[in-house]
Amino acid sequence: MNDPLLYARAFHFAATITVAGAVFFVAFIGGSAIRKAKNAAFLMAEVRTQCAWVAWIGLVVSLLSGVAWFVLTAASMSGQPLGNLASQGVLWTVLTQTEFGNDWLLRFVLACALGGLFVHFLAVEGATSPGLKAVTVIFAAAFVGTLAFAGHAIGGQGIEGIVHPTADVLHLLAAAAWVGALVPLALLLHAAGQDFDALTVARTALLRFSTLGIASVATILVTGSINAWYLDGSIDALLGTDYGRLLLAKIVLFFGMVAIAAVNRLLLTPHIVLGGDLTAAQRALRHLRRNALIEATAGATIIGIVAMLGILPPASHAHHHAADHAIPADAAFQHIHSDQGMAEVTIDPGHTGVANVTIRLGDENEGPLAAQKVTLTLTPPVAGSKPITRSAWQDSDGLWRVDGIELWRPGDWTVTVSATLGPGKRLVLAAPIVIEPR
Amino acid sequence: MRTPIAIISALSMSLAATGAHAHAFLDHASPLVGSTVPTPPHELSLSFTQNLEPAFSTVEVTGPGGARVDQGKPQISGNTMRVGLKPSGPGSYHVHWHALSVDTHTTQGSFTFHVGQ
Repeated sequence: MNDPLLYARAFHFAATITVAGAVFFVAFIGGSAIRKAKNAAFLMAEVRTQCAWVAWIGLVVSLLSGVAWFVLTAASMSGQPLGNLASQGVLWTVLTQTEFGNDWLLRFVLACALGGLFVHFLAVEGATSPGLKAVTVIFAAAFVGTLAFAGHAIGGQGIEGIVHPTADVLHLLAAAAWVGALVPLALLLHAAGQDFDALTVARTALLRFSTLGIASVATILVTGSINAWYLDGSIDALLGTDYGRLLLAKIVLFFGMVAIAAVNRLLLTPHIVLGGDLTAAQRALRHLRRNALIEATAGATIIGIVAMLGILPPASHAHHHAADHAIPADAAFQHIHSDQGMAEVTIDPGHTGVANVTIRLGDENEGPLAAQKVTLTLTPPVAGSKPITRSAWQDSDGLWRVDGIELWRPGDWTVTVSATLGPGKRLVLAAPIVIEPR
Repeated sequence: MRTPIAIISALSMSLAATGAHAHAFLDHASPLVGSTVPTPPHELSLSFTQNLEPAFSTVEVTGPGGARVDQGKPQISGNTMRVGLKPSGPGSYHVHWHALSVDTHTTQGSFTFHVGQ
């Protein structure tokens, strides 16, 4: 929780989604709803002013948090302290020679372009031309969609390299259309007032928002399935790691948001009808405003969780290539294979602190493999750190064990198993293994 | 096992946070990790599970005498890192790699291969 990158990511996700959501709301929901009101000109000015504030604040926060994210990532990439980044040209190298930097450059241009477009698109007076509306929507969509290219979705091989980022772009767009439009919706419902005319505006806005919401939820489900396919984890990994538990917390919040949306659509919106019970309609409208803010709060919490997930190793890594047999829920596991043999290494618990290591050796077909001596080396995830090397002892089950190893830092350690198989015959296997924070 | 995980995680609004291989792990190497080859190789090739950023990915190879035998900056294309090796004798070669994945995460690791009988 004390990693500044976490906060930079959280603010940037929230601000970017807010910017795109405000644009989508003005373009597809707010304008159409207000045009049907008797006091349309006054309402349009009021709602546009409020949406403009939301969009401008979002844009400024996204720029500031984007700079912070970029600088902190450049420091992480280069291994240089923050003070050396500018003097050693690291920032320029990251900006021009990495995919992350190129993506950030593009997103900076998009943010500047959106700033220019907002001057007219969010102007209080005057109608927005269809061309300006289309260009602003496209730029806002690009601004939020290109966030996918700064995350875990890129870098995959083959078809994954196309499908995974595409799914993430759509995932972000859907999240912006739903979560990002909630605050403008609540503002419109508030500005519309309590009279009969307000009911027309509210009903039109709610029905249009609901249609957009259904499309967003469907998109999130499909693209989330694709992400989950590539996650390639296990139930144990989901339940037994911080990453998995945070993911489950997201699921609960998402269910909560969908449930509130269903109540809005099925129970509250039908009360808002012209010629019906005005008191019941006004009560429903109050509940709808409150629900929009509750949904927005849940959405903001989800964004905070996303920011945390982005800096944690995915659950699948804690059990990379997990074998079929039972592995303790808190353990880190690695299966290492070469053409000469294999080793299954279990570190229990798989987080910082004192841990015990179990090694199962096998031949190239994963059958038993006899060894005269086995040495375990664990290399910390910090350049220049001294590796921990220990001789293993063999238990009555034939497993090799090393007890009481101090894992002093979370991250990607390297485990190396060196087995003496006979005179002049040695098997050395090495691979990364993820140690989580306690 | 994948299907229930997919269903559960699909409901999670994963945004850009999930990913199968969010770190570039070493997938395979030539010469193979821990292998013994009869003659000194002219080149070391490392393949990773993700594409790499050439500006911040490196590899160092030390020969039997403890001196560096790699020919400097590796050539990186996609997920593959190659570096030429200076001629050297039989014995153990130690490889230490540092990889920056295009998704901005760094990993590092080391292994040994042997030349000779």
